[in-house]
Amino acid sequence: MDAAVTRLTYQEIFDLLKQFITDVIGEEFVEEMDIEPQSSFTKDLEMDSIEIVSFSEKIKAHFGKEIDFTGWLSGMDLDQLINLNLDQIIRYIEECQS
Amino acid sequence: MSRYLFVIPPFFGHVSPTLSVGATLLARGHEVAWFGITPLKPEHIPAGGSYHVPDLTEYGEDIALMLRRQDDGPSVSGPEVLKLALEETYLPIARFMRKGLLDFLDAWQPDVVVNDCITFAGALCARLKGIPCVTTTPVPPDVMGNAEETAPKIAEWQQNLIRGLQEEFGIQEESLHIHSHRLNMVFTSRTFAGLDPAPPHMEFVGPVRGRPNEVLFDWERLRQAKGPKIFVSLGTLLVDIRKAFFSKLVEAFADEPLTIIAATDPAALESWPENFIVQGFVPQAALMPHMDLVICHGGFNTVNDTFVNGLPMLITPIAYDHFHTAKLIERAGCGISIRYKRLRINELRSAVYELLENPVYREAAVRIQTTFREAGGNDRAVELLETFAREPEYAS
Repeated sequence: MDAAVTRLTYQEIFDLLKQFITDVIGEEFVEEMDIEPQSSFTKDLEMDSIEIVSFSEKIKAHFGKEIDFTGWLSGMDLDQLINLNLDQIIRYIEECQS
Repeated sequence: MSRYLFVIPPFFGHVSPTLSVGATLLARGHEVAWFGITPLKPEHIPAGGSYHVPDLTEYGEDIALMLRRQDDGPSVSGPEVLKLALEETYLPIARFMRKGLLDFLDAWQPDVVVNDCITFAGALCARLKGIPCVTTTPVPPDVMGNAEETAPKIAEWQQNLIRGLQEEFGIQEESLHIHSHRLNMVFTSRTFAGLDPAPPHMEFVGPVRGRPNEVLFDWERLRQAKGPKIFVSLGTLLVDIRKAFFSKLVEAFADEPLTIIAATDPAALESWPENFIVQGFVPQAALMPHMDLVICHGGFNTVNDTFVNGLPMLITPIAYDHFHTAKLIERAGCGISIRYKRLRINELRSAVYELLENPVYREAAVRIQTTFREAGGNDRAVELLETFAREPEYAS
């Protein structure tokens, strides 16, 4: 998909990110989890740095340059990283789209 | 002859290489002592050496708490492990040691302090007393990568904590002094660590050895074992996940045409398949040359034993620096990494057969073996320490 995607709703972004997570960590592991907007990346989804990098690459491939997800992450301190959840990412993508 | 004091943490993986190097120093006529905060079995201390623990009565509960917290490592996330390591482990260890170590330096008057890389009090107290200091690093350095660029706030957090600790020690300096800036001996090869160029004060001496292991083993059963032989170890920590880990191995490899040599207490499972040889403590170094493959989580002593023997590895990283080690192994091509949390039985089985049947992994492992041999080991480490003791200003 190219960068000129139509504006997505909150729910559409959530579904898309959920698909990215499933691609990264594998369906059978996702089945055991209840992925919600409040799910934290490190605690609930137990994603490690390599998985978060693959996830970032999927976001980049989908949205292109309009979203600098990696740059946004690198500005975080430890507690922000520990508490990072899907809702924050969805809101960040919404902001970048507007 | 010189006096060397090793300052060590209460974690055996970090202690073990210092015992090997210390034994070689003693054999060459030097005086060697170790300083730590928890008891060490007397048989671990090389003959002629001594081990010292200061009076830690006032920290008794805090030390027990710090040690118990280590069990949480495998279950918390990467960023939380960073906090656990620095805030709840390395800094407290430095504080527990400070007073006792300063007194001991006055009493024993070493010529050189050798501080383990996570035992900050060694370098800080040596600086306060004007004693030259060398650092030993038993794990691949550069775990944090280029944090100043990729995660500036995390790098800043780390530096501020260390500056705060330095102030507690009475060192009011912007620059960080928890490690030696003159000589840092790393127990792997530069090629494996992937640090090129490395800082000039870093010397890659490769794995060190020399601690005898007199544990008995059923060698006759091993001789009669069928098919490729696979050594499996989870090291000395990570007791909680043993049952789950070995259950998966049994599911994947029961009655397959290969033999698993599992270094774990047989009580971990109720019964074991016939092609599993299970023993709690094993003569690991003696066993390795008979193996075809190693499966482990990435504890560094087992990683070193594996590539010293040029064997491929299936690494299943769990926590701490295992992920960094896994990356190094994949980059070198000498193994396959599957994260423990995402370990599927069929993937485990196919990775093992790929490693056994495709020669590229073994060839890459043999290349790492060569770099380990060329690094020099104990002799190189002792040569560096002796040169350093003679002229610490110009060493390295």
